[in-house]
Amino acid sequence: MDFLIQMIASGLSVGAVYALVGLGLNLTFWTTRVLNFGQGSVLMAGAMITAVLVARGCNVFLAVALSLVVSALILWVIEFVGVRPMLRIRGSMGWVVSTLGAGIFLQGSASWLFGTQAVAFPDVLFKSSDTIELLGAYISVQYIAVFVISVVIVGLMELFLRRSTWGYGVRAVAHDRELAALMGIPVRRVVVGSFLVSGLLAGAAGVLVAQVSGTVDPNFGLHLLILSFVATVVGGMGSAVGSLVGGLTLGVIEKLVGGYVSPAAAEMVAFVLLVAVLTIRPQGLFGKADTVKV
Amino acid sequence: MSKLVDLITNTWTLAVLCVVLALAAGFVETGTVQMWSFVAINILLAQSINLLTGITGQISLGHAGFFAIGAYASALLMKGAGLPLPVSVVVAAAISAGAGYLLSIPAGRVREFYLAMMSLAFGLIVYELAREWRGLTGGVMGVRGVPSAQIGTLSLFGWVLDSAWYFRILLLSLIGTMIAFRNFVKSHYGRAFYAVHVSEIAAGTLGVSQAATKRAAYALSGGIAGLAGGFYAHLVGYLTPESFGLMRSVEILVMSIVGGLGSLTGQVLGAIVFTYLPQRLQAFSDYQFMAYGLILIFVFTLLPNGLAGLLKTRTRYSKFDQLGGIGKASPAVALTQRHSDKAASHGPLIRVEQVTMEFSGLRALSGVSLDLQPSCITALVGPNGSGKSTLVNVISGLYKPTSGRILFKGKDIGGQPSHRIAAAGITRTFQDPRNVPSFTVRENILMGANRLYVHGPLAAALNTPHAKAEEREMLGRVEALMATAGLTHHAEDIIGDLPYGIQRLAEVARALASDPELLLLDEPAAGLSEHEAERLVQLIRMAADHGVAVLVIDHHMDFLARLVNDVVVFEAGEVIYRGDMDGMRSNQAVIEAYLGKEEVSHA
Amino acid sequence: MLEVRDLNVAYGAVEAIRGLSLVAHPGHITALIGANGAGKSSLMRAISGITRPRAGQILLDGRDITRLEPHQRARLGLAHAMEGRRILHQHTVEENLITAWHFRKAAGSYHAARDAVYAHFPILGERSHAKAGTLSGGQQQMLILSMATLHKPRFVMLDEPSLGLAPIIVSQIFEFIKGYCGEGERVVLVSEQMASLALKVADFGYVLKHGKVVFEGDREHLCAGGLADLSGAYLGGTGAH
Repeated sequence: MDFLIQMIASGLSVGAVYALVGLGLNLTFWTTRVLNFGQGSVLMAGAMITAVLVARGCNVFLAVALSLVVSALILWVIEFVGVRPMLRIRGSMGWVVSTLGAGIFLQGSASWLFGTQAVAFPDVLFKSSDTIELLGAYISVQYIAVFVISVVIVGLMELFLRRSTWGYGVRAVAHDRELAALMGIPVRRVVVGSFLVSGLLAGAAGVLVAQVSGTVDPNFGLHLLILSFVATVVGGMGSAVGSLVGGLTLGVIEKLVGGYVSPAAAEMVAFVLLVAVLTIRPQGLFGKADTVKV
Repeated sequence: MSKLVDLITNTWTLAVLCVVLALAAGFVETGTVQMWSFVAINILLAQSINLLTGITGQISLGHAGFFAIGAYASALLMKGAGLPLPVSVVVAAAISAGAGYLLSIPAGRVREFYLAMMSLAFGLIVYELAREWRGLTGGVMGVRGVPSAQIGTLSLFGWVLDSAWYFRILLLSLIGTMIAFRNFVKSHYGRAFYAVHVSEIAAGTLGVSQAATKRAAYALSGGIAGLAGGFYAHLVGYLTPESFGLMRSVEILVMSIVGGLGSLTGQVLGAIVFTYLPQRLQAFSDYQFMAYGLILIFVFTLLPNGLAGLLKTRTRYSKFDQLGGIGKASPAVALTQRHSDKAASHGPLIRVEQVTMEFSGLRALSGVSLDLQPSCITALVGPNGSGKSTLVNVISGLYKPTSGRILFKGKDIGGQPSHRIAAAGITRTFQDPRNVPSFTVRENILMGANRLYVHGPLAAALNTPHAKAEEREMLGRVEALMATAGLTHHAEDIIGDLPYGIQRLAEVARALASDPELLLLDEPAAGLSEHEAERLVQLIRMAADHGVAVLVIDHHMDFLARLVNDVVVFEAGEVIYRGDMDGMRSNQAVIEAYLGKEEVSHA
Repeated sequence: MLEVRDLNVAYGAVEAIRGLSLVAHPGHITALIGANGAGKSSLMRAISGITRPRAGQILLDGRDITRLEPHQRARLGLAHAMEGRRILHQHTVEENLITAWHFRKAAGSYHAARDAVYAHFPILGERSHAKAGTLSGGQQQMLILSMATLHKPRFVMLDEPSLGLAPIIVSQIFEFIKGYCGEGERVVLVSEQMASLALKVADFGYVLKHGKVVFEGDREHLCAGGLADLSGAYLGGTGAH
């Protein structure tokens, strides 16, 4: 029983992070119809920078802050160099390839700078040994902290989108770019802003997921990208709440399958789910066919 | 420059080059020959992904998956079942083709980045399977002891193959495959693949089934990549999953894009460059990831058509050059003469019967009925949103009517998929010309003839006499159509560079290339100059003279007045007038439909 | 006034507007009349900046705005209600108005402006929490007009506001437009396929065909020839009498 609870707890925790990543993916998708294939690598970069800085003696919170800033800047560069020039090309092949290239470049840079081996991730929140007892099982406080923080961030983003002026701006641009411009919304600024925030979300997610898994290595970005995408698709591209539900569902299923069957089977679950959802209901559980709304 | 490249890619030059290489293989260092073998394998890989991504437009970010399937299959078949090299490699290719076919089932239903994700996931699934399925693949440790030329453990019917002989066999296989492949790409099959790339909807109207085409593209692409995999396995002798991960997929993608998507020569260039670069440039090898990343970020901006574009060489998607022009074919006929006996009335060619079309509550067509006769040109006009294009979309199979029937030569075609309707002899054009921008005018018009071809893929690949004769006949038709359309001097020009009017004329000529019985034209005269409009009129009159029934939607009343004397006026999804043009101009209902009710205004 | 000089607009290889010039004066409604594809929408899109022209100039009260971004032109007091009833379908009526308000400067408070809208079109007030996509065509058009005029912009362009609407709603809408124009010496440009509708409200009109002005004049001038003459621009031939 407590094994089950452990699995569910870790599944909810990692699933909440998938939702957070998915939110970052969604944000740039809403404003530009571009899905950043390098997002996973930005996560990895955020986690790497924190780990390496702390290992070199930097204060933990400063390290996290710096990695958030760097992540945002990376997304800014990606928008400028990889996305904007590609939007002139009809279809998605241009930006898929260029954002994937950005991700590969980041992965290569990380390998070059920090080596290909996994790096231990420091304790940012609590200690990895801290546990509390819940329903007879001992659950790591870090899992809970990661879950809570992720859900809070998703909630804040949702609030921002629904209530703030700039949130209105993003939603208008997402729905009808020309109409937004005619209403006086500075579309270009909204787009760049969405990439910056997406970078912040990616950096934060990287730190959080590394916290739960304990290590960072240059490869974990791709894996997370696919899982977050699955979460987003399952939940529906247009919905922040959908991302959350999709992410949590995927996280729990993944951990349960991993715990009761095998880790390899867990990998397969995500992929099979992706193929299944895309084939049967491409708009996800919450999305509407072919439209993207915020 | 392009002359130089043409010289190099000339068949005779290549033949000489291959003979030289084959002979030299015995005299150069083993390391050099092995590099040549890697180049050959990479050429196969690049061509395979180009078929899927460059030609058919389906992005593949996990192509190493097919490579892996072929490699492991051939290795295990030889080790486990003792199959000889030719058999194991061919069976491995077939297995990989099968995997491609299976992948095409879900993948064919998604597009754009959804497809990209799915292809990425495919590559990763194969990688994970290779790592985890220890019983089959040896897991992370891989498969050792694969009979290989490098180690000298590979033999063919008792005769041990060294690196040089392995290269010769590989070269021969490469040449054979590539010749057949090139012939296939230049045939109507290659053009059909490209049609799906540019517009799945437009492809349907050429009689091309996008679903069947994608399945074929995935299978063929997977098969060629699998072939490469088989040869790879018996070159290196030892397989691990690490050879088939994301990096390999990225490498294959980079080779193809940098070489030039859509260009067969480009793939060879890309393969050569990226086989040698990591070897020659130590720096490149150290920073390979980063280099590939940078290349992918900037390639479409800096080298939109790859190295092939830089060298100004392009793959020709017709066999015009291969056949040496059309030669002494008999005077070409553009269209079949139908219904020359106008007296005998066979009933209307097409009868639209009480057709209603509703889209979630919106009624676009309301009980529309009309007949069209062979050899007659009818205009369809009406204000914006009156349902004209909807009717054409319903007849051509893009929409299934909510109610009512559409009888073509007595049979109800309502709801049939558009490629089947096109195959039956109904052709249409679109409001924006959906040509393939990178094809020449001749190639675009030739695409229209797709539904008329009889010879199959094998005949196309082998250039049998029957295939060649049919190709000559089709090219002859195209020549005749170009003459009527006044496009002959543009035959070899890339259509994307030509003015709009020419593109439009080419599109109409393409529609006629299918030798239709019913031709539906959606706003063909928009944006045409006086001279071009005159050519258009000639094309349409020629069609009508040959018995084709023509329906023209347009707003240019002056243009229509020269062409037709039978007008149908739509308003709000209904027919409000049918008769001649003069009658239309004085018809009260028509005037009100366009201008609104006139009210007496008091000063 | 709103002035367009020698405008050339092309989409790829297709020329939509060729060397077009016109002037719209304040206090008068100016109509753009012409068949589908004549260039009415292309012209408005070039004026508001959604489409970049190949050549030509656009001036608002003498100020050259040709190089400005659309949102900058919006902030200068230029409103453009595009054809096709473009609103934020998934947002509520209230949210549409909020979005329309907050990105441009204006005198007064949002609440005052919104209450004015609801006073003018009570049905919008009643359905303020409904998703805009669920409103009827006429209600959507009312919302579009309200959003366009929320800040009392000096220049307003309406692209086929009457399309697909019942005559009684069309009257309401045209009443609103007339009122708005006269209220503050504003420049209003209205395009319509249905010439008769446009001529009901307009004081001056331009008839477009294939991207050029083929006829211009005040209302009397246009009506004098009877609609049958105008029909030549639509139906070709010499027109019928």
